[in-house]
Order: sequence, then structure tokens, then C-alpha cells
Amino acid sequence: MADVLVNLSNALADTVAQAGQGVVRIEARRRLPASGIVWSADGVIVTAHHVVERDDNITIGLANGESVPATLVGRDPSTDLAVLRAQTNGLTVLGRDSFDGLRVGHLVLALGRPGKDVLSTLGIVSALGDSWKSSMGGTVDRYLQTDVAMYPGFSGGPLVDAAGKLLGLNTSALRDVSLTIPTPTLDRVVSSLLTHGKVKQGYLGIGAQPVRLPTAFREQLGQETGLLVASVETDSPAEKSGLLLGDTLVAFDGGAVRHMDDLAGLLAGDKIGKALPAKIIRGGQLHDMQVTIGERA
Amino acid sequence: MANLLEQLNNDMADVVDQVRRSLVQVSVGIGNGAGTIWHSDGLIVTNAHVVGDFVDGRGRRRQRGQTQDASRELTVTLPDGSTVPARVLASDAERDVAALSIDAHDLPTIQLGDSRAIQPGEWVFAVGHPWGVRGAASAGIVVGTGAELPEMPFNEREWLVISLKVRPGNSGGPLVDVRGRLLGINTLMTGPQIGAAVPVHTIAAFLKDKLGTPVVGFPSS
Repeated sequence: MADVLVNLSNALADTVAQAGQGVVRIEARRRLPASGIVWSADGVIVTAHHVVERDDNITIGLANGESVPATLVGRDPSTDLAVLRAQTNGLTVLGRDSFDGLRVGHLVLALGRPGKDVLSTLGIVSALGDSWKSSMGGTVDRYLQTDVAMYPGFSGGPLVDAAGKLLGLNTSALRDVSLTIPTPTLDRVVSSLLTHGKVKQGYLGIGAQPVRLPTAFREQLGQETGLLVASVETDSPAEKSGLLLGDTLVAFDGGAVRHMDDLAGLLAGDKIGKALPAKIIRGGQLHDMQVTIGERA
Repeated sequence: MANLLEQLNNDMADVVDQVRRSLVQVSVGIGNGAGTIWHSDGLIVTNAHVVGDFVDGRGRRRQRGQTQDASRELTVTLPDGSTVPARVLASDAERDVAALSIDAHDLPTIQLGDSRAIQPGEWVFAVGHPWGVRGAASAGIVVGTGAELPEMPFNEREWLVISLKVRPGNSGGPLVDVRGRLLGINTLMTGPQIGAAVPVHTIAAFLKDKLGTPVVGFPSS
């Protein structure tokens, strides 16, 4: 009697106890502490940017009950991530879910440690999708929405699968549903923050606004709108590449440019310094040109 | 052969069926809550906030000036549908627990669980009458336990925090583990999706304090 339910309940509690070893408390704001994920055994911690309200006087509460001081390595508001470094060793790093088998409907657990003990909520994967842009222009490599309840202080903590393997970092700041920043994005952002102290972003130096294209171009290009260049900054990558006021940018690096979001998405940090193909409409004619991306200061 | 989820569903329904046998409805004339049969000779536990000002031991409101409303009565509706008058044996607003007595015998008591041993992640059920729906069940997991949980009222008190919704009509009803054993009584919400229960060890201590008898079958605290 009740074997499946008892086994399920015990398995969930075991998963929480085991995965909880890789979850820390982040004391970096005045009100309730938040949560963080152990990224490396020697003290790299990843958490949510919005819970790190101060740059100094940060304390990490470890699973063994110890408290250790930490320094801020860097933050990326566009993906709501921050990296901290604590002077410690021998921390437990969570194993990772590969995402290969993850499907809508799978059980997942959100973990947090706003106090001494690990806390947990349960849910299922509600939606899975491809990469998306946050409202602040950050690229998130997968869309992962769950129905886990975000208990106070859970931001920055991990979402784990039924085996306790890491799927990503939970944040309540990017949208008002429970969203997880997936491990591929954590990898990318953490490595950039550890190397550069920031996430590099490409830069063109134009002011632009979306405009409706003339009928002929709409049919030829298969898009309704493009970006009208309304200003070009002096000495900017755009000026050096020959972009002019009044040009309409319709494609860049092989991707259609319809809105500002499209352009922001195409200005990824790994394109800095590269000459990339662009399509513009100038004087009623479609032109191809090369544009070299700069780096946003 | 039923698949795993069907087996799980059957197990869950069995637990709910079992718990409903010890679930009562506590009515105070206007509004009502839930209660749990603690002893077969008519001892019911519920939240103090469910019985409110019924504290004089006769099932009538305490006289407060001249505002006594004799038409309001404290009653308990048993699982078989019969409604009987109840009186308050003891009530503790601070712990939010009350003990009621009804004139009945051989009632199906609830098995007691161990609210100190329960771990985050374990599956739990709340059974009650949310929004007046009789015997409705919700399932969730234990978020955490103890007296040091974030954003809880009365922070020196111990709580069992659960990821399920406690609604009007759930108050005083049982929170049980996967074997249907009482872990606490559902008491309040501490966020849009998170409920909180008074742990069963707090209820046992209350009964011992107020009624003077140690609770049979419960590990002494």
C-alpha cells in the first residue's frame, strides 16, 4: 500500500538533501538573504544580480553552517546574474542535467537557502523553448519556465531535475513567471565575468527607429520593417564603416533587422572586431556593405 | 498493469480517503473551518482563529458588553454528515490551536505523525473545506520547518511551511504525510503560493498544557 507515493516522497527528500549541499546563502542586501549556487569547489558562487545590492561586505552561508566573506567578481544585469568569490575550498558542486531528455511535464525542484537550512518547492517544467532576449538585451540560451513557487529568498538558487542535477538558476526578476537561466547561459556569463569582470557587448553607435519598408522591398526581402538610421555617433564603428544618416538597415550578419531587438540580438560580444555583412536601403536602392562591430564601453 | 502515475494517483487517493474519515467541519454560524478528530471520545483539534470568540466552554460567545448573539452556535459536522453542538475545552490564540469537545464516541481518530522528523521535499496533503468545498484535498511538498523561516509572522514560533495553498475553510484541517499521519493543522498563507501549518508537536504540547494529560502515543516533548 502507498508504495509509489512513499517512494516518491522519500526520493524527493533525498534529492533535496543531496542537491542542497551545492546551495549557499547570499547575504548582500539589507532585507532577507537570498540563495546562490556553488560553481567551483574553490569558492566561485553564482547568484542573481538583483539580490546583490551592495558590492562590498558580502557573506556566503555554506551548507555546513559556516559563514565566509566573499568578493564580487562581476555582474550581468541583462541576464540577472552575478558571480562572487569566497575564500574557501572543498565545496560541493552540483552535477549537471544535459537538457537532452528534459521535457514539458517533468518534475523539477527549486532549492534555496535564505536561512540556515535548505528549503525546497516542487513543480513541473511548464514550457521549453529556444533562446530568447531579456528586456535588458541579454541573450538566454534556452527558455525554461516552470510552475515552482519562488519562496522568499529563492532567487539565485538552483532548479534541479528529479536526480538533483543542475538545470539552471532561478530568478524572479526577468518576468513575472518562474524562469530559469539555463546552465549554457551560466557557463557563458560566468566565464566572461571571471575573465573580463563583465559581459562584452557589441556596439555600433547609431540611433535608429523601425520604419515600414516600401512595397517592393517588403516583397523582395520578406519583411515588413527595417531600422531607419536617425543618428550616427562621431568616430563610432557605424561611421567608420560608412553608415549614413537616412540609411535603412534591413539585414545584418545574415539575420533580418526588423526591430531594435533584432539588432541588439545580433550585437553579441563574440562579434566584436569582426567585419560583418549588412544590407541597407539607400536612395531607393538595396546596397551590401561591411560593418565592423566595436565594443560597448 | 497500471503505470507508475496511475499507481501514484491511487496511492494519493487512498491517503485522502483515509484522512477524510477523521476530518470534520467546524461552524461558528458565520463562516467555518475544518477540524481533526484527535480522540475517539469526541476531542477535536482546530485553529483558535476558527472558533474565535467561542471561549466560555458552552458553545456560546463570551459576553462582551451587551453584544451577545445567542443565535450563533458552535457546531461540528462529522464525516457521516451529522451535525452536533461543540464546546471549547481550551484555546490558545498565540499558538493558534483550540481543543473542542463533542458528545460522541468511537470516532475514527487520525494517526499522529512526526513533525520534527519531516524533511524538505517530502510529499504532504492538506484536507479541508476550502471555500466551503467539503473534504477537498491539495498536495504539495514540505518547503521547510522550524522557527527560523523567512517572512513568517510570529517568528519565534515553529512552523511547517508547505508549497500548497491554504484557503478559507482549510484552517484547522489536517496536514498529513504520505501515510496519512497528522503532521500539523493548516493555518495560514505566507505568500501567494506558500502555506503554513502549526506542527503536531505544538498541538500535543498545547493539549498537555491545557488539558493536563500527556498525549497517548505521542513522543513526549
